[in-house]
Amino acid sequence: MKYITTINDKKYEIDIDSQGNVMVNGEARHVDFLELDGGLYSVITDKRSLQVVLEGDSGHYAIEVEGRMFDGKVMDERTMLLTQKHGPVGGGSGEVKSPMPGLIVGVTVEIGQAVFKGQTVVILESMKMQNELKAQMDGVVQTINVQKGQTVDKGALLVIIAPPA
Amino acid sequence: MGRNTDKGINKINKVLIANRGEIAVRVIRACRDLGIPTVAVYSDVDRTALHVRYADQAVHIGAPPPRESYLRMEKIIEAAKLTGADAIHPGYGFLSENANFAQMVTDAGLTWIGPPPNAIATMGDKHSARVAVQKYNVPLVPGTPAGLPDEELRLAAEKIGFPVLIKATAGGGGKGMRTVHKMEDFNEALATARREAESAFGNGDVYLEKFLTNARHIEFQILADMHGNIVHLGERECSIQRRHQKLVEESPSVIMDEELRERMGKMAIDAARSVGYVNAGTIECMVDKDKNYYFLEMNTRLQVEHPVTELVTGIDLVKEQIRIARGRQMTPTESVLQPRGWAMECRINAEDPYANFMPSTGKITTLITPSGPGVRVDGGVYGGSEISPYYDSMIAKLITWGETRSEAMLRMRRALAEYTIMGVKHNIPFHINLFNSFKFIAGQIHTKFVEENFSMTTYETEASETEYELAAIAATLYEHRRRQLANQVVAPAKRDTSNWKWVSRWERLQK
Repeated sequence: MKYITTINDKKYEIDIDSQGNVMVNGEARHVDFLELDGGLYSVITDKRSLQVVLEGDSGHYAIEVEGRMFDGKVMDERTMLLTQKHGPVGGGSGEVKSPMPGLIVGVTVEIGQAVFKGQTVVILESMKMQNELKAQMDGVVQTINVQKGQTVDKGALLVIIAPPA
Repeated sequence: MGRNTDKGINKINKVLIANRGEIAVRVIRACRDLGIPTVAVYSDVDRTALHVRYADQAVHIGAPPPRESYLRMEKIIEAAKLTGADAIHPGYGFLSENANFAQMVTDAGLTWIGPPPNAIATMGDKHSARVAVQKYNVPLVPGTPAGLPDEELRLAAEKIGFPVLIKATAGGGGKGMRTVHKMEDFNEALATARREAESAFGNGDVYLEKFLTNARHIEFQILADMHGNIVHLGERECSIQRRHQKLVEESPSVIMDEELRERMGKMAIDAARSVGYVNAGTIECMVDKDKNYYFLEMNTRLQVEHPVTELVTGIDLVKEQIRIARGRQMTPTESVLQPRGWAMECRINAEDPYANFMPSTGKITTLITPSGPGVRVDGGVYGGSEISPYYDSMIAKLITWGETRSEAMLRMRRALAEYTIMGVKHNIPFHINLFNSFKFIAGQIHTKFVEENFSMTTYETEASETEYELAAIAATLYEHRRRQLANQVVAPAKRDTSNWKWVSRWERLQK
């Protein structure tokens, strides 16, 4: 199977055959890739032995190597062609959820208000810290499920943003 | 401890620690070293916490929110009576700077391992603290009192010198705060600040303070006993902060020389004397680029960053606290003007540096703690323990020591690379990036360094080609295995269990 893998802005052609042998840009590499714990991997190549933290799914991964975060996209040749034709699909979700249990100390938007991606919509206090929860996409505030002073559980749906008309 | 008349006769035969997490563990360790039995207190979620497991006795004191457990004064004193503890150590945070609690402990006939209640009260109020230390000519950040009319503020601004900071008397959270760089902008900024303060706090009163450009946060550790001895144990620099939260501390400071240490140390001792201080305390200062220093406040408790002082002085501060509370003479007889070597501390927090330092909660699945020469870890967690949303996000403190600052930094880089924490997000990548920053390595830091000069999306050194390739190989192999797994699941059509269940079982088998 041939993959086109992009790390930040560097492209690699990586071929993995049915025996699991790895070729990087046409050169053979000896690789031992082992999961140590959920998300934690040990990688031994000819050049290095390193611990790697890997997160994400469906071809889009965040890879942490020695405290440095890399953005990785893995595509096979077919997907690569499709993406080049149609452009990437999707964007952020319109749902703003609570990433942890906490106290709502402020809702900074109103229903019907236009918001932009990255705009703070809710301020959540947890572990003595105030956290700004931001809109993941441009749009209009459709629903607000919480108010100031309310405590929420992890994953609670706080605000829904509808795509701009 | 309380009254000076009790000198030398305070019995401490069992210590209750009115705290949790790493500091409770730290105090238990000192007590163990002294052969004193300990009592832990805990809330519902801390039943399995390390401080409960390490203490000789443990008492449940309530529900997880601090006001229903670790802040319940009567309940904690009751726990001491119940277990026969005759002294209480408050740690830091929670009740440590509560004068009322210190008094209650003393009134209950128990020994308070901390400063006298009136010293806590005086230093706890910004105004009374300034008044107290001024009597000893301790320099304060130049500024004006509250409530002056516009014209007088203009004159004062000229006299203080620009840039000045306009601050709301009732202020907080940056509201009603303005930095003004020249006279031409002053009137407008003053009007805006007043308007903002009026609408936010219903009080348009403001005062001025000199704005210190590129200032450093430097603090002095002091120790005082009941026999009138006071010494300082040198400085700590805590300029690496984010939103006033300290992240990295070191001792000594790169800007310090023996002459300045002697002057600032004397100032710190004077500030402590001004309130009749006894026990361990810290004088926090701002130091500008011309090495002018100004008193900020006094912390009337043990500090989070106390280990860096311990490593360069060889003094166990918690043991000294207990010794002082017993009414004995403290061990050090003179101030430390020449610290030995260099120590640095990184606060390891459950915060995601890639997501604006958002706190992270959950179970720590893997914990590999660094060790080896020159490395100390003060922690309160273990693999399998939970980081709950009820308390602060600190997982542990990683402290390294070296003969020189360079050696301490290199050991820190080694220790950070060894540290593995899985299950919750943490700020180790932040520290790794920071310890690769040339400005930080050169000691060119100030309190706004992290906010203004630092980012997690850029790195001062480019990653090596080997690291890039390794990341590519890891991501690709992961994706490849994921796809193979998906194919295997789809292929066999007739199975009596659902494919999802089967995937889950298969995954468990592979672990």
